[in-house]
Amino acid sequence: MEQRFNTSLVTSFGPSQMLPDLKFAEMTPGWDCGGGTYKITKEEVEKFSQLMGDSNKGDVNVPVGMIYIFGLRICWDRKVFIDGAVRAGDKIVFYKPAKIGDTITTKLSIADKKEVRKEKDGKVRINKFLYVDMKATNQNNEKIVDIQMSFLLPATMQ
Amino acid sequence: MSMIDFNKVNVGDVLPSKSLAVTQELINAYADLSGDYNSIHVDVEGMKNNPMFGGSTIAHGTINVEPVLQAICAIQGTLWPLEGTKIDLQFRAPVKPGYVISSELTVKEKKTEGSKKILVCDMKIKNKDGGDCVLGSAEIVVT
Repeated sequence: MEQRFNTSLVTSFGPSQMLPDLKFAEMTPGWDCGGGTYKITKEEVEKFSQLMGDSNKGDVNVPVGMIYIFGLRICWDRKVFIDGAVRAGDKIVFYKPAKIGDTITTKLSIADKKEVRKEKDGKVRINKFLYVDMKATNQNNEKIVDIQMSFLLPATMQ
Repeated sequence: MSMIDFNKVNVGDVLPSKSLAVTQELINAYADLSGDYNSIHVDVEGMKNNPMFGGSTIAHGTINVEPVLQAICAIQGTLWPLEGTKIDLQFRAPVKPGYVISSELTVKEKKTEGSKKILVCDMKIKNKDGGDCVLGSAEIVVT
């Protein structure tokens, strides 16, 4: 499909080393995955509201579903979504509302990891999980939303 | 002002729901808004030959959460969830074009933290056939 994402809305920053460069043993809590910024425009808010049937059309507030729009492209640019990893879940905490005109800064870091032993049909498998914090603040450094994403890493992950 | 009265809600009550009809057009438009063009979402032809999801694309997992986000705002009578509102969710099954997904919030506990009144709910997103695609819990602050 033709890609119409407005790349001018997004910037990204962070260390040259990214998550896929790490082995599981090197994935330590606090490790900086980088981040980025997202500029909230009235045009994008209206498109989102129309798409999702959200009643919040044209208001200065931003539809709540846009919490993910702030960070998805940044997560791809920063390679937080590792090839073969499965998104297992999210823990979300809401703070101040985002507003049209805000520039949202998203920072990504490793929150935790764990290994879970599973036994099936006499075979033992170790599932590796990675937890990544996505913390979004506005231009006044006020918290907007925290999302802790959990991933089941591919079995081939060393 | 919340649309429901904390004092009149009982454990076991099912709170008002929101639904979303998921189409390939919606998924494509979401990709344009989010910049997430993963082929499992947008490559309709390519996924026909891929057995992973039965020859279909699937919606972004974040689309699957939309009904519960809207439901919480409707319950609170707000445009953005009240500060301190929390959701803890697990993605359980993919959502494909053609599904109609709906939120289900069932009160399992009422509590107060300082001046905050909170409804602790079991949370589901179900597809049109009744299967669960997202499971979890929510702590909904009400005024």
